[in-house]
Amino acid sequence: MKSAKVVGVLIPIFIASTIYYINNKKPATHLVEFTAPFVFGRFTVPQNNPLTQESVLLGRRLFYDPLLSSNNQVSCATCHKQPLAFTDGLKTSVGVSGKPLAFNSMSLVNLMWGPKHFFWNGRSPSLEDQAIQPIEHLDEMSRNIEDLLVDLNNDDTYRDLFKRAFGEVSAQGIAKALANFQRMLISSNSRYDQYIRGELTLSSIEEQGRKLFMAHPDTKVILRGGNCIDCHSQFLTGGFSTMFDGFSNNGLDDDQALQAGLFTLTNNEAHRGLFKAPTLRNIAVTAPYMHDGRFTTLEDVLAHYNGGIKRSKTLSPLIIEADNIPKTQKNHISLNLNDDEIIAIIAFLHTLTDKEFLTNPAFSNPFTEENNNG
Amino acid sequence: MVKYNKLTMILIILSVAIVAIVAVDGYRPLPKDLILRFHPYVGNQPLVLHHQSYKNPGGSGDFSITDFQLFISNITVKYSTSSISELNSYHLIRFDGGTSFDQILIPKIKIKDIETLSLGIGVDPKANGTIMFTGDLDPNSRMAWNWQVGYKFLLLEGKLTIEDKQIPLVYHIGFDESYAVLNFDITDEKISNDGVINFKIDLLRLFQKTSITGKSLAKTPLKQKINYIDMSEISQVKFAPDDVKKIAYGFHHFINIVNIVNIVN
Repeated sequence: MKSAKVVGVLIPIFIASTIYYINNKKPATHLVEFTAPFVFGRFTVPQNNPLTQESVLLGRRLFYDPLLSSNNQVSCATCHKQPLAFTDGLKTSVGVSGKPLAFNSMSLVNLMWGPKHFFWNGRSPSLEDQAIQPIEHLDEMSRNIEDLLVDLNNDDTYRDLFKRAFGEVSAQGIAKALANFQRMLISSNSRYDQYIRGELTLSSIEEQGRKLFMAHPDTKVILRGGNCIDCHSQFLTGGFSTMFDGFSNNGLDDDQALQAGLFTLTNNEAHRGLFKAPTLRNIAVTAPYMHDGRFTTLEDVLAHYNGGIKRSKTLSPLIIEADNIPKTQKNHISLNLNDDEIIAIIAFLHTLTDKEFLTNPAFSNPFTEENNNG
Repeated sequence: MVKYNKLTMILIILSVAIVAIVAVDGYRPLPKDLILRFHPYVGNQPLVLHHQSYKNPGGSGDFSITDFQLFISNITVKYSTSSISELNSYHLIRFDGGTSFDQILIPKIKIKDIETLSLGIGVDPKANGTIMFTGDLDPNSRMAWNWQVGYKFLLLEGKLTIEDKQIPLVYHIGFDESYAVLNFDITDEKISNDGVINFKIDLLRLFQKTSITGKSLAKTPLKQKINYIDMSEISQVKFAPDDVKKIAYGFHHFINIVNIVNIVN
């Protein structure tokens, strides 16, 4: 009798602990192996979101799935298309509401490096946060997260992918998976990368453009420069990563038209009109340009720096001062580059196109792949 | 007479030895964090970025500063018979972090009996010629010119206003020749109880003339007159060697140890 009582107590305990163990068992995951150029420098991955193969696989599927939008027609890839270096070719993006959004779609590349403030105005502190914001934004994807979780739980494939990556379907898992897929979007095989690795020499015009890109002009020593390096780092070609060094007012608007920019995040008047300096990798395929897509071509962009700068209270002194001829017209700000130099800089910018990145199957739409496989 | 056996004697000797060791160890100063705290000033006024104006020290008009950063490197502390040199000792000091100062922490060293402290302003020629990511050195940072030129040792940007005219101020000072090593005599009184040595960085001293001509605004403790450069005459310095030299001359004079009570935070 006694032993039957003991067994009667032990069995429920055993069953309960088994259920608890199964429910709380961490999935066996595998870290991603990847390479990146030494010159990109240090990077960090959040401790609570290890870069696992399982999360990247899930993130890629979520990225391309219109299930993430309220009308099931808009996915992340709608505004971030691989052939356009994960931009959309529009002045400003359009989501489920059909209204043009406030900003031009930013290229998604080499996101583990550079400023740790995402979006043009730096409003997001992490890739995980950046990934989840558009899903809930009324004009972008307008998806109720709770409803989305129900739909994902009802999908066998997603349930399995989430189980392998995180154990269960969750909003946090969506953000982590999308962030990790985007971390894997590494572009490092452009002609410029190959030049840095010593695998090729640039043409004479590209080399002239590279030198201009890398130089702040100084008429005292007859050094001509395009002044690009003052905002775009030499290897990553994006904004600087320390504090807010990666943000700048590049003279797009005067004081009357000056937009909030980084002020949105910091509430500091000195940051009004400062926007994130974007990566220039694949810049030849990411038109139109600037945070509001106001410039259609790279020629337009160079024309802006060569005479189109507007003064405002937060305009960078580096832009006001940069000039390839001794200052004569004090109120007119221009780099005063000649036509050949403009052509050279644009030729160099084209060396930043990484065709392998733009066509890498690992970054492509998995649904297309599944359909093709039958 | 009490007779001790051998075992008792050994135990007594051992006990005395242990007590002695513990006592000596207790008197040995424990390692502490040494903090080098840098307070930026313009003459006698604390530097406030963006919002505060200061008189052009060598001419007319007022100036304001939007960005100020510099590299402090190769920190070494010396005792009477030994020294400690920090590894990977490249620190970017900047003043836009929400406090009125920036600081470097050297963890767990003996902070008593330090006789001298030395540090470099800028980046030594060996490190300046590489693209290694060491300490705060980052070839993708704002302080990097490009791999052929090296680093800006000091970055100072702002504007000078003379009546209704605004002149951009851009001082990007680099080049191997500009690297300066400063040595400071240290006494225990110069280190606060919490292990802090306070340094004053006086931006005006970057505009100190090497000659005796020019307008004089301030006096050293020795009542020696300092002549200053007119910022409107040298409003931007980047690659012109003579101008770089003029500003880098100030590297030898613009940092001093100060007593904590003289610092207003």
